[in-house]
Amino acid sequence: MLAGYILAGVLAASMLLIALATLYPSGSSPFGDLISPDQLGGVFALVTVGVTLAVTVASFETTKGSSAPVYYSLLSFTALGMALLAYSRDLLMLFVAWELMSLPTYALAGYDKKLRSNEAAVKYAIIGAMSSAIILYAISLAYGLTGSTQISAVVAGFYAHPTALAGISTLLFVAGFGFKMSIVPFHMWIPDAYEGAPTTVSTLLAAATKKAGFVAAIRVLLGITTLYAVTQNPLFTMANVFAVLALLTMTVGNVAALTQKSMTRLLAYSSIAQAGYILIGFVAFSADPTSNAASIGLTGSILHVINHATMKGAAFLAAAAVLLQLKRADLGAYDGLARRMPITAFTMTIALLSLAGVPPLSGFWSKLLLFLSVANGPFAWLALAAILNSAFSLGYYAWIIKRMFVDEPENPERVREPIWFVVVFAVLVGLIVGIGLFPQQAISFASGAASSLFG
Amino acid sequence: MSFVLSVLVFLPLLAAPSVYLATRANRRAGLYLSLALGAVVLAIALYTSWAVYSSPPAPGQYQLSERYSWINFRPVGLDFHLGVDGLSSPLLLVSALLTVLAIFGSRKLIDHHEPEYYSLIFLFEGAIMGVFTSLNLILFYVFWEVVLIPMFFFIGVWGGPRRKYAAMKFIIFTYAGSTIMLLGFLYVYLGMGSSPSFDIQDLSGHIPVALQYLPLLASFIGFAVKLPLVPFHTWLPDAHVEAPSPISVLLAGVLLKMGGYGFLRISMGLFPQASYQYAWVFLVLGLFSMFYGAAAAILQKDLKKMIAFTSINHMGFVLFGAYATLAYGNLLGVQGAIFQMFAHALAVGSLFMLSGYIQHQAGTREIPSLHGLGTSMPRTATILVLASAAAMGLPPFASFLAEFLVIAAGISAFSLTAISILVPVITAGYFLWMIRRVVLSAPEPGHEVHDMGWADVASFAAYLVPLVVLIVFSYLILTPAAPVAAYLWGLA
Repeated sequence: MLAGYILAGVLAASMLLIALATLYPSGSSPFGDLISPDQLGGVFALVTVGVTLAVTVASFETTKGSSAPVYYSLLSFTALGMALLAYSRDLLMLFVAWELMSLPTYALAGYDKKLRSNEAAVKYAIIGAMSSAIILYAISLAYGLTGSTQISAVVAGFYAHPTALAGISTLLFVAGFGFKMSIVPFHMWIPDAYEGAPTTVSTLLAAATKKAGFVAAIRVLLGITTLYAVTQNPLFTMANVFAVLALLTMTVGNVAALTQKSMTRLLAYSSIAQAGYILIGFVAFSADPTSNAASIGLTGSILHVINHATMKGAAFLAAAAVLLQLKRADLGAYDGLARRMPITAFTMTIALLSLAGVPPLSGFWSKLLLFLSVANGPFAWLALAAILNSAFSLGYYAWIIKRMFVDEPENPERVREPIWFVVVFAVLVGLIVGIGLFPQQAISFASGAASSLFG
Repeated sequence: MSFVLSVLVFLPLLAAPSVYLATRANRRAGLYLSLALGAVVLAIALYTSWAVYSSPPAPGQYQLSERYSWINFRPVGLDFHLGVDGLSSPLLLVSALLTVLAIFGSRKLIDHHEPEYYSLIFLFEGAIMGVFTSLNLILFYVFWEVVLIPMFFFIGVWGGPRRKYAAMKFIIFTYAGSTIMLLGFLYVYLGMGSSPSFDIQDLSGHIPVALQYLPLLASFIGFAVKLPLVPFHTWLPDAHVEAPSPISVLLAGVLLKMGGYGFLRISMGLFPQASYQYAWVFLVLGLFSMFYGAAAAILQKDLKKMIAFTSINHMGFVLFGAYATLAYGNLLGVQGAIFQMFAHALAVGSLFMLSGYIQHQAGTREIPSLHGLGTSMPRTATILVLASAAAMGLPPFASFLAEFLVIAAGISAFSLTAISILVPVITAGYFLWMIRRVVLSAPEPGHEVHDMGWADVASFAAYLVPLVVLIVFSYLILTPAAPVAAYLWGLA
């Protein structure tokens, strides 16, 4: 237990440091060109370290015994990797941070020592190794073409000489990061891994390491504007590629989520669908990086990353609390949950409504900005598809809420709700409702991060 | 800058937690607190209506308006902007009145999870006040969606046997409709080019015609589901039949008005030229809804389902009247539509509440199983006859005047729409048939039922007396409505 308290203290302190460094930037970096403290990095470091802190605190209830020190030290390595990744300005630094983040999570996914958990860990590790290899290959191509591993230099080089190899390197980056971002068709490992891993670890995977994939993608991909060179066909611009990926990702995620019978699998597919919404900002940006829509879209993407971390963190941890107390993860366990575990049911309700984009919760504002960025113009069809997806997704979210509040429980007995979970729930619900009612601060934070990228 | 409207919106929202705690501690105390808070909101709504009546805002302007910067980052700016005019003030008033009456009617009909119930009523009321006062499209959408959450729980938790199905159907239908409406707003925003805005007052009259068609279609879907317009109505009979009666009062009296309000304020106010071009489509749809609702009501055996279809028929009048003005310029149409929304809320609200009492006392609300209420429950039967008269548009109830204005405006737009005069005739027919079977038949021997108490009789007077008063003092609603009608016609 001591290890857990120490880690929680360290993570809280580093969040404070990151926040201070982001609010009062010093301008110069002691690490040269490898990492530098800009606001984009600050946002992602805060989000990922914050989620790790929430997972650590919730783990006080689930992780006991002699292996706890191992568990918490693996968590701390992941947190370090994610924070470094957020600030990386160099492809090699980015790769090192990527591995530092990923390797401990392979072990964490198999932490339960059950067959299911080990299978998830192996599957996750193999796919993870493949995605690392793809990224490494993309980096080597980029270095060969531009003679530099500095992200800004690579982006400028690709932009100046959009050769076929540059296009291939870009696509390899999309694929490599896509595995972590859970973009269709790179998503197949997600439901199995999230379901098999201990649910607290799934929270980390869905709400934190996934965000690391997004910050890498934002830094590397958004500067690279064309695939046109490869095909000589105007249909193959990055905007179109992202639009198709976004459409596939949200539709596959939502449709598959509707048919799931286990809560963790349902949340996994819903998490895939949310990645599709985040990609909409990429579409608006790569269509015309100088337009108003681009800055709205990128702000929306970053805000949705922040919100997704709190919403998905709350939903997964609520599922973890149910699993811990009722020993069940199937949807039947949620029948009448409002009577058995009212705080957990309330947290789950707020998280699900926010995921569906119901105002005035935080998820509404980021979805609003994302949909707004493509609502008029060549990608208006994507906005329509996203809106219909959003309406469709309420079908299964409201279904869970109906189960919790309307259906009768098999056993109406009240169940104790673990105190550390309640603490985390209070903070996360506070963030979801707070950002929902007073979005100004969060939006300007995200918009500052977006403009720091190319400021 | 006045802050009356902010109080009107946020007082109920902030009251919800205290009502929850009070009802948890003591059932009676919670009920009295709810009634007192409801009365305070009603008083503020009365003041608002008086302010609009005593100095009606000029066409396109708003009374008691307040505007603060809310969300601001380059290139998006959203103002927290509230205001009232002759369109919104009657709706605010009738919503506040029905909320008090619904709370009063709930005291016998709601017997479990009361703390949650009464606090959700205030959440609902605050959101409704927000819908009718916001002058910013995003703010409007936020309140619009907040209304759904309490209604989902009302139907799902306190509803009848098929409540799970009805609640899911309700939320999926209405949410799908309103997200499409939101997309229309976003389309307008980006299309405005260098002067993007979400502000209703700023946008009104400044949207280029080419930009109006798609948003008109998108907002039509959102409002048609709420109104509801045939064929978007299928959620309504299910929701009404399953909802507890006080909630049916709010559903029919308040929630449906959001659709009519949206058509007038947004479809006609923001997209006037496109509305003008397609006015005939809306007229035909409204007319179809009127006939369909009336015809379907004849067939219903469940008293509540019959009243639900009456609502579809009455709300068809609202759409028909509004677009009759747009088609020809006869201002009576919009005035009649606003009047009809007010009258329908009270007339149909009282009928829904009555159906709850009848079920509570007689154990059923199947029309064929109810016999001889005239002798066994004379007070209930008297009120049922009076409320039916109000619903079928019989003078001296104000619904007569509202339907008369709408039909008159319709005839001036296109004389063949005189056929709409048949709708009140059909309505009168099925109401009279219902009364003959339920009230005038011989009572079933050996079936003991209790009549309602005098307190309840008084509460029904609160529904019906305003209707009688308003047919005499109709200018209280029609005078402030006139500038709204003139403004909408002027835009088109």
